[in-house]
Amino acid sequence: MIGKVLIANRGEIAVRIIRACREMGIETVAVYSEADRDALHTQLADEAVCIGPAPSSESYLNMQNIISATLVSGADAIHPGFGFLSENSKFAELCEQCNITFIGPKSQVIQSLGNKSEARNTMINAGVPVIPGSKDPIYDAETGAQAAAEIGYPVIVKAALGGGGKGMRVAETPEEFENSFNTAQKEAQMAFGDNTMYIEHFVQHPRHIEFQILADEHGNVIHLGERDCSIQRNHQKMIEESPSIALTPELREKMGEAAVKAAKAAHYTNAGTIEFLLEKNGNFYFMEMNTRIQVEHPVTEWVTGIDLVKEQIRIADGQSLSYKQEDVHITGHAIECRINAENPAKNFRPSPGTITDMYLPGGKGVRIDSAIYSGYTVPPYYDSMLAKLIVHAKNRSEAIKKMRSALGEVIIEGIDTNVDYQYEILNHPDFISGNIDIEFIENM
Amino acid sequence: MKLKDMFKKTSSRSHYISLTAGKPEVPAGLLRKCNKCGAAIIAEDVKNGYYICPKCRGYFRVHAYRRIEMLADEGSFEEWDKEMDFVNPLDFKGYEEKVARLKEHTNLNEAAVTGKVMINGNPAVIGVCDGRFMMASMGHIVGEKITRAVERATAEKLPVIIFTCSGGARMQEGIVSLMQMAKTSAALKRHSEAGQLYISVLTDPTTGGVTASFAMLGDIILAEPKALIGFAGPRVIEQTIGQKLPKGFQRSEFLLEHGFVDRIVEREEMKDVLSQILEIHSGKKTPDTEASSEEKAVERAVSSNLTAWERVQISRKKDRPVGTDYIGKLFTDFMEFHGDRYFKDDHAIAGGIAYFHGMPVTVIAQAKGKTTKENLDRNFSMPSPEGYRKALRLMKQAEKFGRPVICFVDTPGAFCGLEAEERGQGEAIARNLFELSGLKVPVLSVVIGEGGSGGALAIAVADEVWMLENSIYSVLSPEGFASILWKDSKRASEAAEVMKLTAQDLERLGIVEQVISEPAEFTEENLDVVCGDLDARIRAFLETYCAMDTMKLTEKRYERYRRM
Repeated sequence: MIGKVLIANRGEIAVRIIRACREMGIETVAVYSEADRDALHTQLADEAVCIGPAPSSESYLNMQNIISATLVSGADAIHPGFGFLSENSKFAELCEQCNITFIGPKSQVIQSLGNKSEARNTMINAGVPVIPGSKDPIYDAETGAQAAAEIGYPVIVKAALGGGGKGMRVAETPEEFENSFNTAQKEAQMAFGDNTMYIEHFVQHPRHIEFQILADEHGNVIHLGERDCSIQRNHQKMIEESPSIALTPELREKMGEAAVKAAKAAHYTNAGTIEFLLEKNGNFYFMEMNTRIQVEHPVTEWVTGIDLVKEQIRIADGQSLSYKQEDVHITGHAIECRINAENPAKNFRPSPGTITDMYLPGGKGVRIDSAIYSGYTVPPYYDSMLAKLIVHAKNRSEAIKKMRSALGEVIIEGIDTNVDYQYEILNHPDFISGNIDIEFIENM
Repeated sequence: MKLKDMFKKTSSRSHYISLTAGKPEVPAGLLRKCNKCGAAIIAEDVKNGYYICPKCRGYFRVHAYRRIEMLADEGSFEEWDKEMDFVNPLDFKGYEEKVARLKEHTNLNEAAVTGKVMINGNPAVIGVCDGRFMMASMGHIVGEKITRAVERATAEKLPVIIFTCSGGARMQEGIVSLMQMAKTSAALKRHSEAGQLYISVLTDPTTGGVTASFAMLGDIILAEPKALIGFAGPRVIEQTIGQKLPKGFQRSEFLLEHGFVDRIVEREEMKDVLSQILEIHSGKKTPDTEASSEEKAVERAVSSNLTAWERVQISRKKDRPVGTDYIGKLFTDFMEFHGDRYFKDDHAIAGGIAYFHGMPVTVIAQAKGKTTKENLDRNFSMPSPEGYRKALRLMKQAEKFGRPVICFVDTPGAFCGLEAEERGQGEAIARNLFELSGLKVPVLSVVIGEGGSGGALAIAVADEVWMLENSIYSVLSPEGFASILWKDSKRASEAAEVMKLTAQDLERLGIVEQVISEPAEFTEENLDVVCGDLDARIRAFLETYCAMDTMKLTEKRYERYRRM
């Protein structure tokens, strides 16, 4: 049985994990960098071990030091949180080799799911829909047009060595194809010195819908419904909610089944998330699987009533899932806003510094997961997320109202935050009506 | 506010006994400690990462067979003389037992492994010392294996690469051990006389009798970073002279600075660097991939109207392209070699090997810098004796391997200073004139900026000398001329006119063969125009002179100066 957990992370997720452990009667060991001496997780845990200087490469990413800290403190498990080493298969493997329970999937699974083409093939074989695309490299427009017809329009032509939008063109119709292909190929040749192209179905104005799954080591897999994470800036999620208003009960069931199938195909264990792109017409495509707890897990916790971190620990301990699929019921609506130390007026420039004063809201249906306190100095070395504000209400419109009210109470002095920006989104007519996709922020 | 002491903690579970199968522990061999920075590192990372500490980039010593694995094309290694009989020339007590123990412990027959390998498709004979075996000290068997490998390489016309690492002579074998130094050196001499290539690669530590024999005899000497390399060990020196040695003393970087190492090569690049060197010495001409650049006629400077003094000033302009720019534009795969093998590496001269349209050449340039910092490092392109000696070394190397030599002249003059005189500036220049006049490969010198007197001539005794339109070449700077003749250096502009130092004057005097046009405002921006022209001319030059037999070539060069 797991009696002592080392949390290989910092910030609010470390605090979140310490709390779960404490409720379960498990002792906790925090690790901290020299810049995090006064951080909340360092002070809240039963024990704390310094693992290196401020830069994460020398502390929170320093596998050897974290393993040493585990052995020295006598912990028998490591919870990696999210980010840092959470999806590092090598770290998971090290834990396995050292007989330390890694609270997450097996290293082998992390590795295969981290390899994009391998993961894609696994999903194709399992019958999980992926974005249709050409199997072989394409060098000329004629072959390309044939492939595009099979894939289905609109299509996107991509350079094999592509990146940064170079050598990429969308063709809406067969008439446009030749021109798009040739332009993209010319660009690819110029930019990368290579004219190898691929063609994919172009998913227009999709939503980002992800399914939370739980899988134990005895072959049981369940899903806990979806999260709609379409409000993103530069691929960084800002607001997440559950359930998504874009999903009918039938679609939810279909996507949930696909998610469970995906997890089973990957021999997945512990908590994980299957990310899909959802088209307006109801087609959905597997993007990737996140092999860790996610930032936005509280919205799922609230609508299902399941404590995901506790489940993670139980699963890692070899216990069977406490729930069956039929026990999972979605109740009400939950929304999460990420509160970051950044200045939206200055292109979201991070704003580290000392919090001179603060007040955070509470009350019915309001949850705050944070690692800040009055007098705390936000170090410049890490992610700028300060807190997550999560609300829960009977339905979406009430949840939006509750979130607005709660955001209006958030006071953080001494540093810049994105609270006002979030408040604006909550008041945006398209957000209120639920007319959103992943380009929402760009078009706002 | 210290919250730590205010929070209530989880109640102690000290009575708790783990029920999991085993307690967490690090299995043996998973982690190791870096003996340089002390960090705990994952053994697997080190093994897959060229045996370099991922934390401090310190180099671990590598076993001979692993070293070969890191270099050889898969399955290409063929070991020679694997089994050699033990010898104990002094009947040294306990020696046989010690060697027997080591053989069992290391799975090596002796401290050196030799054989033949392919490196990216290039064949070579390789010798690798292994420090685990009595610190790779050189006894009869090590000397014999190296000697046999070299002899066989000479016979089979193969290049030799030796990775050195040694504590020095094998004490247990006494004077016989000392003789191995002579034996290996003699074999390498024959190899060299046969025109064959030898590359030595110095690894940590290379000391004593190995340094004083085959380690230092490479045509090209490479070294791994921070390797200890020396004759006497640092501890012995410290005890003898009673002083603390400076930091970095006897390390690769110290040797590079002092002119004994051509290049320091990171382990990750070793295979590629070696194969590039082998390739360029293989006699194979690589296909000329570059399309010949057809450049439009140069928009000429307002040439005829410029006064000599104006040209002097143009030749010294700060934004005028420098020697290294020409090397970058005209040649491919330039590999710079350093040091004179006597005293120092002079940054005022840059030289090395490269391809010119697929043909191996040796390139030497007097290298001005572009910034003040760079100019301080390059001593404003005023070479010291060690610079000329490096140039000469590279020229002799070119002669040995039959490569034409192309020089770029751009110097205010040879460095004028105390140290330069101490080390024989005059002798160094004279030696270059002497040797260049008889060098058995084609030599071309192009004056690209300032041709300052003897300092320029030392790399300009050539089959042809060319000048850029606004470069100058003279016996002395106009300032110096004015102050000697008229006791007034301010009359430099007047001096420039009477000295006949412009390209046009020198062409008329028959001192130079060709004058290359320049754009009006000549900078790195429009260097392409000039290089396009130069490229075509150099091609024509090489076509003519490479076809000449050696006798005719040197005779013609002799006549060129005999006329003057």
